[in-house]
Amino acid sequence: MDEADTAEYREPCAQCAAVNWGISDEGRFYCRSCHNVIERTREVMDMSFTRDSNRISWISSKSRTRKTDRGNVWMLCEVFQFILKNQADALLRLGVSPGFKDDVLSQLWRLYLQKSQQAYTRNPINSFKFKQKGLDSDSGSAADSVLSGSFTDTGSNLHSSADCNAESGSDRGRSGQSGTCSTASWKRSRSLMTMEKTLALIHLALVWSREALTLSDLLRLVKDDHVPYVTAYEQLPEEMKLCGRVALLFHIKNIPSHRSIHKMAQGLVMFLQLPAFPPINPQTLLHPTLLSLRYLTDANLPDELHRWVCILMDRADMANQKRHTLDLASHPALPLYDLQAAALIIVTMKVLFGLDDHTEWNLSNEAGSHDDLGDLFSFRRWYRLVQAALIQAQQRRNQDIARKQWKGKKPFFTDKRDKYFVMKRRRISDNVQMSLKKLTSRPAPVQDVAPSSFQFCWGSEDGSDGPSLQHMKLGKVVSLNHDVSTPSNFKYWHPPLRTCKPRSCTSHYSIMEPTLPRSFVWMLQLFSFMLDVEPWYLFEEVLEVERRVFGIKTPQSGQQIPIGGQNETGSNTKKWNRNCETKQDSKSGDPVRKPKS
Amino acid sequence: MDVAAAGDSRENSAVRDKRQHLKIADCSTGFKTGPCVTYLSLPAELIMDALDEHLDPPVDLGDESDSSDNSSRKSYKSKLPLARPLCVETKTESGFQKTYRICLELIREAMLHHRWQEAAQYMASFTEILEDRNKVRAQPNKELVWRISIEILHHLSKSTVKDYNTIYERMKHSGVKHYLMICLEHSFHLMLHGQIECAKQQLSIAESWRHGKESVSQLQRIKLIQAYRSLLDYMIWCDKKSMLSQNNSVESDIQGMHTCFRHASVNLQEILKNPGVWDPFILSYVEMLEFYEDYEEALKVLNDYVYDSNFPPNPNANVYMYQFLKRHSAPEKKLMKVLRNLHVLVPSHELMLEYSFLLLQSEKTSDTQKALGVLLEMLDFACWRSNMGVWTCLHTAVHRLLLQEEGEVIVHKQMALRKDWWPALHFTSFHAKKDLEENAKLLEVKASLEKILCPGRPLRYTAERMPT
Repeated sequence: MDEADTAEYREPCAQCAAVNWGISDEGRFYCRSCHNVIERTREVMDMSFTRDSNRISWISSKSRTRKTDRGNVWMLCEVFQFILKNQADALLRLGVSPGFKDDVLSQLWRLYLQKSQQAYTRNPINSFKFKQKGLDSDSGSAADSVLSGSFTDTGSNLHSSADCNAESGSDRGRSGQSGTCSTASWKRSRSLMTMEKTLALIHLALVWSREALTLSDLLRLVKDDHVPYVTAYEQLPEEMKLCGRVALLFHIKNIPSHRSIHKMAQGLVMFLQLPAFPPINPQTLLHPTLLSLRYLTDANLPDELHRWVCILMDRADMANQKRHTLDLASHPALPLYDLQAAALIIVTMKVLFGLDDHTEWNLSNEAGSHDDLGDLFSFRRWYRLVQAALIQAQQRRNQDIARKQWKGKKPFFTDKRDKYFVMKRRRISDNVQMSLKKLTSRPAPVQDVAPSSFQFCWGSEDGSDGPSLQHMKLGKVVSLNHDVSTPSNFKYWHPPLRTCKPRSCTSHYSIMEPTLPRSFVWMLQLFSFMLDVEPWYLFEEVLEVERRVFGIKTPQSGQQIPIGGQNETGSNTKKWNRNCETKQDSKSGDPVRKPKS
Repeated sequence: MDVAAAGDSRENSAVRDKRQHLKIADCSTGFKTGPCVTYLSLPAELIMDALDEHLDPPVDLGDESDSSDNSSRKSYKSKLPLARPLCVETKTESGFQKTYRICLELIREAMLHHRWQEAAQYMASFTEILEDRNKVRAQPNKELVWRISIEILHHLSKSTVKDYNTIYERMKHSGVKHYLMICLEHSFHLMLHGQIECAKQQLSIAESWRHGKESVSQLQRIKLIQAYRSLLDYMIWCDKKSMLSQNNSVESDIQGMHTCFRHASVNLQEILKNPGVWDPFILSYVEMLEFYEDYEEALKVLNDYVYDSNFPPNPNANVYMYQFLKRHSAPEKKLMKVLRNLHVLVPSHELMLEYSFLLLQSEKTSDTQKALGVLLEMLDFACWRSNMGVWTCLHTAVHRLLLQEEGEVIVHKQMALRKDWWPALHFTSFHAKKDLEENAKLLEVKASLEKILCPGRPLRYTAERMPT
């Protein structure tokens, strides 16, 4: 408490010349080393004291602190560097491996600076500049250190711009060669760093270091303020002062969507001409094998389903690690790991349970009548359990959204005139808020809960959303057929195929939604809630997975398949089952074969 | 709410202002018993309506299927003159806007279910919207914060006058557009809590407020503020008067009274020239004038109020005129003129009984005829159905007419339109039973008139005496 108040006062003591101030009980400053009490008192800002009828007026203290010296000029990218560093530090605190920041993110950032010609080049393009607040001492050193040292704490400083060129060239193989041509096409407006781009960069770095954080996890952390974003400007160093129109870049009013960040990250990959990413093999947490297991647990689905998800993945040729490893040469698209895994689960559920508003209920009726052991998975029971939890969680999320504070502790202003208005507005809103808060008995619930990768909590402990269904058996849903377990449901539907202009059409989900089976729509809602994305976005991914599984080509204009309404391609599925079996036969150690026990 | 809504639109059409004017003055009738109670304690439903307007169309989260519903709802809505919705989910909604849209929805939900604590909690986070940099949205947002937080304070048991003052003052100074409105409401609130002096001080501050174009466009509001300030002057004057009557030795009070009177009269004189319903203001002004024995001025003010065709027809104006004339024992002719006016406006007014008395007194046939008309019209209204006075007067008038030639014709002519429905209104066996229970004399009077008024009809108004 004292430190916070005395931190601003850095004058040496008149008697002993030490800078070691404390605050006495009366609020006066005293020197801790010689106990000399000085005139200065703590500035008390008591918001509960509001005068009744006096208007708030702005008393401008005329240029008490204004100094003539202009100070240094900060580059825009330096501001972003600080913000990236803070974001990376926050991620490290949350348990990301330390290599993420120094070895991956900082390299990416340097590459970005170089490619966008903002630094590490002979003639950097003129990006926006900020005035540095005039400081008497050590302003120069701080400014110098930004581009060299402050980002990497471990001391792996960059040497010089020339060295860096060589270094990144050797480090990253291809990156140096094709860089020049793409920078030319990279328009200046697009090369401007934005706050969204910090997230895209971090996402890329996370994928590179194969961390278990998907993009939706990252956005959730940002939303809950575990990673500085909305008020990132607050953590900038004291001498870095934002001013002018450009400062509004840091005034955040929105948290970008999953889709926009993904697009931006994709763009960055192309722009930076990144080499092949480290392979995402089935042992990595980003690979759908493990990611789908995580989502199954979160959705309280039985573990037994995971086998089927894996089979489906094999069938769709999605287990292949090349498919999940970004490589500009062979697989240039940045995969949507989280959506893919969720879509795989939904398609698996569709294969096993039909999700056509009939089959799944019939199956659960059978499971209910077979009440012998009580550990048979019933779709109905699961639906009831999860639906209740989902409604609650949606309400909770809504309340959190309503309570979210977008303002920082420090007021945000761009210039002096703006400061006047901002401060006035801030005081008015604070005063009204105080008088309302005083009257509410309960304090607002504390938001500081440790972030979890799970949205729901299943189990028997306190505060859980319900009993866990993990150990339930699928029972009759799967039947033995020639020693090979196959789904007892033989029907599979998919939405009508239609022509689609890939450029102009985004999604037909909103038109299609009323005609889709309710249980399927509900599944979409559940998973889109878990990932915090729009349902249509997930729906597109589900269609994509279905195409892979059934080998349907992406519909192109003029190639319409004349199937009206929802078609139940039962025969198709049967064929697939047959295919599946033949495939299984050819393979050894088939996972579908019934376990011997 | 209406007033504010009307005041907000930029185009201050004269018609609308006039209506707004009327409304406020209307609400404050019966000032002495409970000043402005009707206006101040706006029922929560009204605020809800306003909130609804802000929130419509309600957004169904998590269900995208209702796009068709939305469109149909929209087309239905468009027929009504609703205010522009402020907080609708838009395609390009930022997270900041979404937070406030959902927050507002939750506040509304909490208010509708009377969970005021919860509403206050959400309101506390909603205040952040005041820091929005968007200048277009700022004004409606301020009004939202002001009105909702005051409404919440009304329902929180722990809220003190200080809390009200804080919010009123802060919101007042957050912008110039709502300044006068908030001042007026603030003073109403103080009046409700008996702080007349504080309320007057508030209004005086508002009166001297000038802000360029804003004060010009808010001319109507300034007039209202002046009117209410004068009314408060009158109340203080009344206090001093009652003090004076208790111990009539203090001279300074008389002077103070006179100052109050002068302050009040300067404004009132001007304001009462504006067309509108100024009942409480007229009454207080007239009372003060009468106290200082300036009867001519009082009569002039009342005359203007009654007979100026710019003013909306106002029965109360006639009543005040009548009462004033009666206090000063004016000739019957003048009284009757006022009552004739009133009769046109409100045939069922209680003063009509007095009017018929006066008419019957003159003993002219034409007047008796008029009295018959007035009385019959009174009895058209169910509220006079079992009033002894009216029936006896009618009895007198009818019998006096019957004494003359053609009297019966006159009565029948008057009854021609009524003979279809009067039996059901007055002369059924049920009425007979009821009248017998309540007033046996009334039964007699009515029974005697029955045959004359509705001849040739089989009436059930049988005065069979029930065995008691």
